[in-house]
Amino acid sequence: MAEPILKVEHVSKVFGGLTAVNDVSFEMNAGEILGLIGPNGAGKTTLFNVISGYYRPTRGKVWFQGRNISHKPPYYLAGQGIGRTFQVVKPFAGLSVLENITIASFLKHPRRAAAEAHAWKVLEFTGLADRAQIPAASLTLAGRKRLEIGKALALEPSFLLLDEVVAGLNPTETDRTIELIRKLRDNGITILIVEHIMRVIMGISDRLVVLNFGQMIAQGGPAEVAGNPAVIQAYLGEEHE
Amino acid sequence: MTPISKDRRLIISVVVFAAAVLLPAVVHDTFWLRVATEAIMWVGLALGFDVIAGYTGYLNFGHQAFFGIGCYATALLMMRAHWPFFLALAAGGVVGAVSALIIGIPTLRLRGAYFAIATWAVARAVQQGALMAGFTGGPDGMRTSEYLNPHFFYYVMLGVVGLTFFVLWFLLERAPFGLKLKAVREDQESAKALGLNPTHLKIKAFILSAIPTALCGGVFAYWVTFIDPNSTLGDLLSDQALVMVIFGGMGTLIGPVVGAVIIFGFKTVFWAYLSAYEVLYLIILGALIAASVIFLPDGVLGISFRRRSGRAKQEPTQPAAAASGKEA
Amino acid sequence: MELLPQALLDGILLGAIYINIAVAFSLVYGVLHIIDFAVGEWIMLGAFTGYHLTLLTKVEPFLLLPIVFVIFAGLGLALQPCIQRVLSGHKGNPTLMALVFTFGLALMIRGLAQTFFGFYSHSIPSHFSNGSYFFQKGSFFVTISSVRALGLVYAIILTLVLNLLLRKTDFGLAIRALAMQKEAAGLMGVNAKRTNLFLFALYVGVTAMTGVLIGVILSVASKMGPENSILAFFVVVLAGMGYLAGVPAAAFLLGIIQSIFLVYLDPGYTMMAVFGILYLILLVSPTGMFRRGM
Repeated sequence: MAEPILKVEHVSKVFGGLTAVNDVSFEMNAGEILGLIGPNGAGKTTLFNVISGYYRPTRGKVWFQGRNISHKPPYYLAGQGIGRTFQVVKPFAGLSVLENITIASFLKHPRRAAAEAHAWKVLEFTGLADRAQIPAASLTLAGRKRLEIGKALALEPSFLLLDEVVAGLNPTETDRTIELIRKLRDNGITILIVEHIMRVIMGISDRLVVLNFGQMIAQGGPAEVAGNPAVIQAYLGEEHE
Repeated sequence: MTPISKDRRLIISVVVFAAAVLLPAVVHDTFWLRVATEAIMWVGLALGFDVIAGYTGYLNFGHQAFFGIGCYATALLMMRAHWPFFLALAAGGVVGAVSALIIGIPTLRLRGAYFAIATWAVARAVQQGALMAGFTGGPDGMRTSEYLNPHFFYYVMLGVVGLTFFVLWFLLERAPFGLKLKAVREDQESAKALGLNPTHLKIKAFILSAIPTALCGGVFAYWVTFIDPNSTLGDLLSDQALVMVIFGGMGTLIGPVVGAVIIFGFKTVFWAYLSAYEVLYLIILGALIAASVIFLPDGVLGISFRRRSGRAKQEPTQPAAAASGKEA
Repeated sequence: MELLPQALLDGILLGAIYINIAVAFSLVYGVLHIIDFAVGEWIMLGAFTGYHLTLLTKVEPFLLLPIVFVIFAGLGLALQPCIQRVLSGHKGNPTLMALVFTFGLALMIRGLAQTFFGFYSHSIPSHFSNGSYFFQKGSFFVTISSVRALGLVYAIILTLVLNLLLRKTDFGLAIRALAMQKEAAGLMGVNAKRTNLFLFALYVGVTAMTGVLIGVILSVASKMGPENSILAFFVVVLAGMGYLAGVPAAAFLLGIIQSIFLVYLDPGYTMMAVFGILYLILLVSPTGMFRRGM
């Protein structure tokens, strides 16, 4: 059995008096899609931030491809092949869509001409090529979410962290994004995805990890987790699709 | 104002530069030549200021420190160590760069507010140091050797500033560096996720802003023959650079050039006719700054970097953008 | 070595002045997130107002403090909408532009002051100006000037009053809520606009009163603005930007360091030495001495 690509080992993150993530451990194998779910405030984004280098774990370690990345900054991790999107999308508003992707392309293509060529390819793949020259601030929400994914893709990552990439999209746009995610996995990218929209995450994930109040309360395949009484309990009273 | 394509702008810049090179052939009055030399110097100072202010989003209220450091470094090397001018000038640039590194390392890791305060305080400390130190001549200043040659200084200044302009054009508008810097300015956290190290980039930008400023200082020292802490390290320098850049349009290269020429023109006229009302100048400068922030946020030509972020004007294509744009 | 107790005491009294300069400024930064580069100019204007009022009315300047407060709070009320406009009009980088705005404002005020008040420095006469207390114990002796002692009393009162305001009043609750979470506070019924308005007015009024105090203890001059601005900045950065509770400790520490330097160093170098300390602190702990800065 090959070494897991990602290993989260007893990770906790404490802010002053608040324990946002409490002793969470799980592994991911290359090429799988793992869904991270849980009610609002369960600590999903905090865990994301720990894995992607924006926070240091208060306790525990994070391993990527066998290396300890617990204290590495985000820009180092990008170089290691980890890409991420942000829940509240962060486009470079004053720059064009093309420029946004070009910046991301500089990681693997240091020269401008090559970076731009690569950026065009990413724009084609994500369906943004027709809007390449407009300021990123002028995109619709769907466009911005695509741009967000596009920027992460331009890094040519082996591992992708997707944070609520379909929130706020209409059904058509949501389906298109799901298609995109499947294409990514088919291209060999391992994906850790956070999503609130149940039909999306249940449909796309190979496995799920459920958090509640910072702790992992369940882990397993979608059917297994859906039937888990602790999971149902956590969501009781929560509105979800 | 319709955006002019980048290549067209470059051509215009080259034409303007060529005209500047040919100016002394047409203008023979040394008074006007000196005025033009000073105007060019201010263009250089404004460009340096905009690299860190407009392109990087960090306000250096102590910009004059680099100018003064360049002045004194060049003057001291020429007068005490008897270095030839050009060598001393180059060394002045290096000292300026090193200063930027020292000042920048602790302050650029942090937010813009810290940086503004720290640089403002550093500049005052440097001025204080120049006033107290013996080797700089203290409050009495120091002299450099006299070399009265308006043409020489015109061309040296033009050379320094022209080189600055085109190097900056390449680095900020053509090379990856400029885009990366803008990314850090727009959204630092997002930039990190893409493999950019914001602190490194900011420090490089700061050094890039210091070098032309220090070089202008070095030329200035030899040109005006006499320098003192008041004229080379006073607040007024960064106050004026700030107005020039904001008025002209931040985050562009043309902006500082236009702003510098206009504000310098205003300054020259003011001092020619109203020099009795010194204090008035300070008031006007302050009022210009405050007014520009409120009424001319994109500069007089409306070309600042903010224009394209869609906040100054909403593009007509995407109505949903307004509904979706509210970030928590 | 005999100078040490005096130096320490002077440091504490100096620190008291620094508290007065910095405390309202820190509050404004914590809530409105703006660095007001004009803070030193408010102090200067307050000092001149106190000076001219004292000359005019022949009343003890400490009694004129409330009047100065009212005048400048009014000025703050008038000015705040301008700043608000800058903050909301520049969604790209509002804090940066607000910084520039206050910087321009400071220049303008300084120029106006130089125009109307000239370049000479004055001192505000007070009944307490010449008094002092003298303590001796064994070989240690200290002299405390009355006005500086009053400065300490003023600092204590100011801190207590602000504390009460923040913890016991609705206004204070609104301020604290806004400092923590702007949008959520709005949802809870906090009127951000009004709170910001009154907070800014309070800040200008308090800061101007401090100007009167400084005018009595030290001096008044149209160029005193920048030095006081720098002091306010130093204290706030040392305390941790936005961390109000850190201000007293930071102010006292700064005052003591400065006093000790004054004993051993040329006054001209004192500022540079203090700045050097600040530079080191920023290098080591950018979020201030308590690591609670923003």
